[in-house]
Amino acid sequence: MNSAVPTSETYVQRTWRHFYADSFARNGLRIVIVLFIVAALAPFLANSHALIRVADAQWSFPIFHSLQPIEWRFLFYVPLAGVIYLCRNQFFARPGRSILYLAALIVLIEIFIGFTHPINDTSNDRDRPASFKLMPMIPYSPIESTPDSFSPPSWKHLCGTDSTGRDIAARMLHGARTSLSIGFVAQSIALTIGVAIGGLAGYYRGWIDIGTCRFIEIMDCFPPLLLILVAISLFDSDKGNNMFYIMAVIGLTSWTGVARLVRGEFLRLSALPFTLAAKAVGASDGRIILRHLLPNSLGPILVAGTFGVASAILIESSLSFLGFGMQAPTPSWGDILSDARRYIDFAWWLAFFPGLAILITIMSYNFMGEGLRDAVDPRLKVK
Amino acid sequence: MSVPLLHVENLGIHFGPPADPVKAVDGISFAMQAGETLAVVGESGSGKSVTALALTRLLATPPARIVSGKIEFEGRDILQLPDSSLRSLRGKQIAYIFQEPSSSLNPVFTIGYQIHEAIELHRPEVDDVEKEIIRALDTVGIREPAKRLNDYPHQLSGGMQQRVMIAMALACQPKLLVADEPTTALDVTIQKQIIDLLKELKQTSNMAILLITHNFGLVSDFADRVAVMFRGKIVETGPTAEVLRNPQHPYTRALIECVPKLGQKQHRLKVIDYAGIQ
Repeated sequence: MNSAVPTSETYVQRTWRHFYADSFARNGLRIVIVLFIVAALAPFLANSHALIRVADAQWSFPIFHSLQPIEWRFLFYVPLAGVIYLCRNQFFARPGRSILYLAALIVLIEIFIGFTHPINDTSNDRDRPASFKLMPMIPYSPIESTPDSFSPPSWKHLCGTDSTGRDIAARMLHGARTSLSIGFVAQSIALTIGVAIGGLAGYYRGWIDIGTCRFIEIMDCFPPLLLILVAISLFDSDKGNNMFYIMAVIGLTSWTGVARLVRGEFLRLSALPFTLAAKAVGASDGRIILRHLLPNSLGPILVAGTFGVASAILIESSLSFLGFGMQAPTPSWGDILSDARRYIDFAWWLAFFPGLAILITIMSYNFMGEGLRDAVDPRLKVK
Repeated sequence: MSVPLLHVENLGIHFGPPADPVKAVDGISFAMQAGETLAVVGESGSGKSVTALALTRLLATPPARIVSGKIEFEGRDILQLPDSSLRSLRGKQIAYIFQEPSSSLNPVFTIGYQIHEAIELHRPEVDDVEKEIIRALDTVGIREPAKRLNDYPHQLSGGMQQRVMIAMALACQPKLLVADEPTTALDVTIQKQIIDLLKELKQTSNMAILLITHNFGLVSDFADRVAVMFRGKIVETGPTAEVLRNPQHPYTRALIECVPKLGQKQHRLKVIDYAGIQ
């Protein structure tokens, strides 16, 4: 493509093309998508209840009775998001009408969820006799203990079992959900705080900038993991097991990098002529920040966000490993690893599989982040 | 004498420490009537752009300080206006076009969106905004305006970008258009096209134009009156034909002599002797 002739592709299209051309970034993205799908569908992939069961000529679907509300929400909202993405052009064409339909759908879904009564039993359908049953891929629940403790990987337990006989493969699948959601939400919180603080500092300059920079420097003095440990230990111990607290704490302690980045971008952008032109046409400060400066600085923000998700996942795993984050029986990769500490000399699978999962996830996010960083750089030309 | 559209009196703008300021604008006064074209001519650093930006308080006031004077637009002192009135003044009554059109347009939005924003801000009564945008683009001479709506700034040439800026400025039908060196970044043939466009617009609408330039050549055919600035002061002002024919101030004379004349054999370009002007 002759780069001397300006093409009619938008900045986003050009960035995507550049990103997709990088094989590391492309495959990193694919792995992350697979991880997201697996995490969303975890209860269908690893469950002790059968998908379909026929007994005494009666058809039943036990799996649906055991789904917790949060799992119903994953089941509905993830495909809904996918559908919205696929029809995004029509969706945003008439935003008012689309939001109305969306709200109606959400109300219907929530009413439906309200009518479900999840049975909280750990009975399993593996052992119950039936004329036909279709079990999920991994027919074990992540919190179900079996008498086969410490069994190495086998056809029965693909990744082995842990000290109380829980199937590691099932725990890994459900742990993916914990790690990915904490990583994503915590980083979203950090991004929001960082963009707000950095943006205001970069736009208004003066004393606001000076004060914000000193505040950022103070926050940076604290080692992040220690800060999170202190914050979590201030709460009751059962709150440490609560995903939302961990998300909030990680988000509140890792926003400084993004803030610095956004401050730099806003300092640069607010000195450019188009900011002056926007002011000259009468745009208010808020409008300039949100509609003009923010879209122009989205590149570095997204890159920082991608690397930040990887870092948040690592922090969450570290917390669980140390025993401060999600604890048993809630599945989490770091939690499996902390078990591994004690039994590593004979139960190598306790360390290998979660470690491998963390490695692959973090590497994929990092490749994506690096690919994005190169793609948003306006100076690099792509063939 | 009717109330002038713009009346600047004893405007002083300083930069730097108050004890030893740089007097970018040192007590200038001028007035503009509705529909009139005033050209402010001067070399770099004479204070022209600072004056233009000060007209709607676009100057960043930490480094700059407006130390004296008043700026009256239709009788209201701009320096005393509250922020909300100022924002409705900008764009709707006084519009700007700047020197570098390529960086005066937001690179991530289409030009249609940016003109839409200008109309949205100041003319909420307009129903069919897209038609208005197409009309504006057509007025400034962009061909196939309906297709150009969705173009991004980087897809347009410099001349077209400047036309888009003019369209943005005109979309709100302002009473005063401040053109801060609009053609300096463009090459000569495009310069002529843009000035011709401005002349045409001058005739069709009763818009006053304040043209800032360092190029005397642009002024003669276009401006009704001219004011010459030198080191923060207006040294000469008057109807264009008069000033060009009969410059009084030595600086004006030097400036006019600096313009190379076609057909004249010149071995050396004329250089202004500043010492002789003080």
